[in-house]
Amino acid sequence: MRRVVLYEGFERFWHWAQALLILTMMLTGFEVRGLGLHLFGFQRAVALHNILAVTLLVLIVFAIFWHVTTGEWRQYIPTRKFLREMIAFYVTGIFKGAPHPVRKHRMAKLNPLQRLAYFGFKVLIIPVQVTSGALYYYYPNLQHALGWPPASLWVIAVVHVLGAFGLVAFLIGHVYLTTTGHTPLTNIKAMLTGWEELEDDAYFDET
Amino acid sequence: MPHPPRRPSPPLLRRVLQTLLGLLALPLALAQEPAAAPPTAGHGSYTIVHVAKSRRQTADHSKFQVLKGPFKDSDGPAVTRACLTCHMKAAEQVMATSHWTWNIAKDGKDGFGKSTLLVNNYCISIIGGNTESCARCHAGYGFKDKSFDLTKPENVDCLVCHDTTGDYEKEKAGWPNPGVSLAEVAQKVGAPTLKNCGVCHFFGGGGDATKHGDLDDTILKAPRAEDVHMSRQGAGMDCIDCHASDAHKVGGPNYVIPADRREQAKFAGESVSRMSCAACHSDAPHKSYILNRHYQKVACQTCHIPTYARGTLPTNTFWDWASAGRLKNGRGYKEEDANGYEKYNSIHGEMIWARNVRPSYVWYNGTLKFTRLTDRITVPADGRVILNPAEGSYTDPNAKIWPFKFHEATQPFDPILQRFVAPYTAGPKGSGAYWGDWDWDVAIRMGMETAGLPYSGQHSFVKTTMLWPVTHMVAPKEQALACTECHKRNGLLAQVPGFYLLGRDHGTGVDLLGFGVILLTLLGVGIHGFIRFSHGRP
Repeated sequence: MRRVVLYEGFERFWHWAQALLILTMMLTGFEVRGLGLHLFGFQRAVALHNILAVTLLVLIVFAIFWHVTTGEWRQYIPTRKFLREMIAFYVTGIFKGAPHPVRKHRMAKLNPLQRLAYFGFKVLIIPVQVTSGALYYYYPNLQHALGWPPASLWVIAVVHVLGAFGLVAFLIGHVYLTTTGHTPLTNIKAMLTGWEELEDDAYFDET
Repeated sequence: MPHPPRRPSPPLLRRVLQTLLGLLALPLALAQEPAAAPPTAGHGSYTIVHVAKSRRQTADHSKFQVLKGPFKDSDGPAVTRACLTCHMKAAEQVMATSHWTWNIAKDGKDGFGKSTLLVNNYCISIIGGNTESCARCHAGYGFKDKSFDLTKPENVDCLVCHDTTGDYEKEKAGWPNPGVSLAEVAQKVGAPTLKNCGVCHFFGGGGDATKHGDLDDTILKAPRAEDVHMSRQGAGMDCIDCHASDAHKVGGPNYVIPADRREQAKFAGESVSRMSCAACHSDAPHKSYILNRHYQKVACQTCHIPTYARGTLPTNTFWDWASAGRLKNGRGYKEEDANGYEKYNSIHGEMIWARNVRPSYVWYNGTLKFTRLTDRITVPADGRVILNPAEGSYTDPNAKIWPFKFHEATQPFDPILQRFVAPYTAGPKGSGAYWGDWDWDVAIRMGMETAGLPYSGQHSFVKTTMLWPVTHMVAPKEQALACTECHKRNGLLAQVPGFYLLGRDHGTGVDLLGFGVILLTLLGVGIHGFIRFSHGRP
């Protein structure tokens, strides 16, 4: 076993900042929708939600830059290799104490299911939320200019809200799966400190 | 294998991180609402405004020989002749306005006025023989019936609008009260103030505060909280500061010109109409971009006049002519409710009065479709005729959500000819007037004969509603509606159709679907976790 830095400083910052932003946007969003939350007050919730959206966009731009320049984007390329084994592991193996079918590797730190989930998160949920959110925000400017029917805002709102519910479901699954490491807190600790113990042969010497 | 050294963060990366951290903190700082400032006296000062106004006057009318009279008691026309010796075109100008004609032509149709065919939810109509008592508010002398000469310049009443003493009073048919010293009033004329307009416009519907709900006598001594513009503690403005006039034509009658129709200029030389909030406040007066964007679809009045009749006087909200005429020992009587407001009067029927009333909200593009006595009415299934429905919808780029006083009533109706009728109401016993003899049939027959209109001989009563745009009594900004008064389920805009409103509307089943997905996820995770931990293999 070997302790390595699996998550770089920027990566950790990006992850937790994104988590904080999305969580706060969930709270403000659901408060504004009128689901019984009274945390910030409507006006402040709307203002926060919009400012955080812009902040998240800035963060995403930096994250894209980081992933492209470091080549880390390759970590998210979906693969079918070991996909069936991963599913089998979560459905049965995990209960029997079977070994994890995929070893974490410095250059392949995500298992095929993670790749699929995070890839979907990046190319589906986030773009849908960003696009529907932007359309929502600029609706008064766009509606008359483009002659949209009055019901169009309803459609945008429904898409945005369904995306938000999807995010909540994602979050629940995501947090639960972090507990499936060596101990329930292993993965979260790694995401906080960056350090994780990997099998010896999983270390890839960049030199 | 050697332990891999941890790569030091390059300075560039650190800077990027710091920037991002800063950006993260930014929303928290920006989202802080500014501490509520103590209420101030607004930007205007009554004294400054009025000193400036008196400076504008270029003539001292007390120096004019022609105004020294002497004038005989009630001889208004003599005063007018004196005025016209200098202002020779003034009467001609006034005679072209609705203050004089009490009639308005609209969309190629004539007769939308008090002296013509307009049906009003309060006193119904004046043309069935009631002109003489109603013409107390006519800007002229001697308007007692159809025979009044609308072309005679000396019949124009200059003083009612230009008196600055406050002593001028009018009687039946618009004649000056004989107790008024006309020479004294004539020598102190000036530009109209709140009082000049108020003597009529505060008393519409037959009494103080009765008709409009956002205009009454209390405005003269109002605290700033009642009306930030007209209160002397507020901006100290006069009616004419917004209702600018052009050749005696005063802007803003809601029969033809809306108070706010996309701020189009109404008079030569205006860039935007002075009868709009935006003329002074701009169309982006809030610090918040999102609040400013409400301007596209929500009238300023909607948020900034949270309730009307905010003075000490109640406004009439219901007037039931159908229940008029109950008598005690053959005589009319009155009853008061717990607040001391008149809840029954034999001459009017049952009434409801209210203070601090929440407006009703409807789409309004500035056009109200009024009803005339000659218009054939199809009574809708709910039996309620809206006398002046507001035009507009979400898709109408000129329409905004506006606050209205909805005045409910019952009105006498001719069910055979399907028209409203003009009864003769104001007259003594034996005259046939309703208030003298308590007989609707006679009163309507006489009224329609006087008006020169057909009557089938049968009458009924129908429920009617009349819409009054609420635009005065603007409250201090601290009292404006909060977001969640509309952005919530069953909020103030619960009934305003045609659009999706955040917080009000929830797509049917969308929340159900969302919570379903969340519940299923929790269930899956829960079961999975339970099996894992019960096997002792986390």
